This record gives sequence, C-alpha cells and structure tokens, in this order.
Amino acid sequence: MINEEPNADEFSYPGLGEVMFMKAENFINSVLSWGRSRSLWPLTFGTKCCAMEMIPFGATKVDADRTGTLFVGDSPRQADLILCSGTISKKMVRRLLSAYEQMASPKYVIAVGACNISGGLFHDSYNSIEGIDRIIPVDVYIPGCPPRPEMFMDAVLALQKLIRENKEQGH
Amino acid sequence: METVERLKSEFSSSLTSLPSTNANETLLLLSENEALKKLVKSISTEFDILFTLLVVDRPPEAFELNYVFSRYRDSALLTIRVNLNHDKPVIDSIAKILPSAEWEEREAYDLFGIKFRGHPDLRRILLQDDWPGRPLRKDFVVTDEIRNWTGLDLKF
Repeated sequence: MINEEPNADEFSYPGLGEVMFMKAENFINSVLSWGRSRSLWPLTFGTKCCAMEMIPFGATKVDADRTGTLFVGDSPRQADLILCSGTISKKMVRRLLSAYEQMASPKYVIAVGACNISGGLFHDSYNSIEGIDRIIPVDVYIPGCPPRPEMFMDAVLALQKLIRENKEQGH
Repeated sequence: METVERLKSEFSSSLTSLPSTNANETLLLLSENEALKKLVKSISTEFDILFTLLVVDRPPEAFELNYVFSRYRDSALLTIRVNLNHDKPVIDSIAKILPSAEWEEREAYDLFGIKFRGHPDLRRILLQDDWPGRPLRKDFVVTDEIRNWTGLDLKF
C-alpha cells in the first residue's frame, strides 16, 4: 500500500516541520532580496546622449553609491542590472543581447530614454529598434529625452522596492 | 587651375567643365566611365586625398557619383562627376590608388549597392552583413517587415 492515492476530501493541516520550513524559506528569500536590492551593480550600456545623464547620476550631487549602485567593473559578468540607454540600432541588438546573456541571473533591466522605450526620435527609421522590450524583458522604464539624473535615482529606488517586495524576481 | 588645363588637354573629348557655386572648387563632368582610373592616377600626384564620395540617386536614368578630391597644400577641391547606369551600377575602384577611397566606396556599396571592380575588401561598412536592401535608394520603402527585422531568431 505504498503508492496509495491521498484522499482529496481529507484536509490536513501542515505539520510543524513543514511550517518551519516555509517560514525559514520566506525569511531566507526576504534576506536575499534585501541584499540584492542594496547591491545592484549596473552595466552601463550607453550608446547615446542618455549616457551623458548617466555620468551625473554616478557623480557627487546625485550619488548613486548611496543606494549601493556601484559603478565598478562595468563588465556584464559582474553586473546585476543593465542600464540600457540610447538608440539601439539593428547592428547593436546582437551586442546588447550578447551582453545580456553574459550576465548572471537574477538580472534586471532599466530602459532609459525615449529611444529605448519606443524608438523615440528615430521611431520610423530603417535601422533602429522600436523599443528594447522587443528583445529583452524590461523591469523599469525611465521616460525623457534625455531624462534628468534624478530620474535614474528614482528608477533605481523603484526597482529596489519591487525586488524587496518580491514582485520582481529577475530573469 | 593648371591641373584642369592639363587634364582637359589629356582627356579632351570626355571632360566638360560645369559651373560650381564654391569659389574654391572645380567641377568636371567625366562622360567616359572607363577613363576614371586613368584620370585619378594622373591627378593623384597633386591631390592627396579623396575628401568625400557623394552619391545621388536619379532614377530611372542614373546614379551620379561625385568624387571630391582635396590636397593639404591649399585645400583646393576638385570634383569629378560620373554618371552610372541605374540598372547596372558598376565602376572601377580607385582604392588602390588613393587608400582613403576604400571606406568611401564601401559606404556607397552598403547604402546604394554600387559595385566597385577591383576593390580589395568590398563588404558592408555600416549595416549588418545580412541586412535586406539598399536603404538610401529612392525606390526603397520602409515597410513593417524592414521595421521589425532584427536578423535574430527570437522566441517569445
């Protein structure tokens, strides 16, 4: 009688061990997501003028380091977050995808600027991608042409909040 | 310019002077395409660089190629204009005579589809290698197919 089907009508409460395991799992997950949200190392994939606004985001006035967003390494292998800004041309798509695929999971994407979200100024061109969410999944969008450095900070804080609330699991 | 006088005596039948808006520039129309290589060879002692290569699409008759030569000595400009057949745009490459022509010719090949005979490395320079079409031609239309093309096999 080993492989007997459990009776569906019979409801049983989870045992103490099971409850302890679930509690511990929740706790570990919350600690992990707290840690992840406080150390988002970005890969700066800047192709155009939005990348100029990314410089003051890392500089003194709007200090990205306060949130744990450290501009170190700047290599896809060490990055958790890709700050993709500027027009992505059809030739650049393969480079973007190759950088994205090299990042370790969980990884997050912030799309910066009008060109990145919808094609922007170059939306009807023969050689631009109308929004990178056609290629890779995007978590937070920053509108603007180009957006202010403060909006980068806003986007990072929004992403941190999503990660802490376990709404954003990464990809 | 004494070069122009010399060229006119050398290529008397096929060279015509055209009026130019720029006082520093001399504009010459070459009617015989085969003579281009010989002409460039003869001016390459005085004009060091190919400043730019301008292509104008004039359907249905011709592609108009403007070779703008320049020199370091007094920055004088000499433009040689050549008309190509629109159905078969083929011309001799001058990249072996003036190395600065190599990338200009690759750009013209990339965006207009003009073929340069004897070019050392005739590949696309700006667009992806498997890009469909020649985008700066007048008959090129940006369709949805072109707009959505990435050349990637993406599965969602």
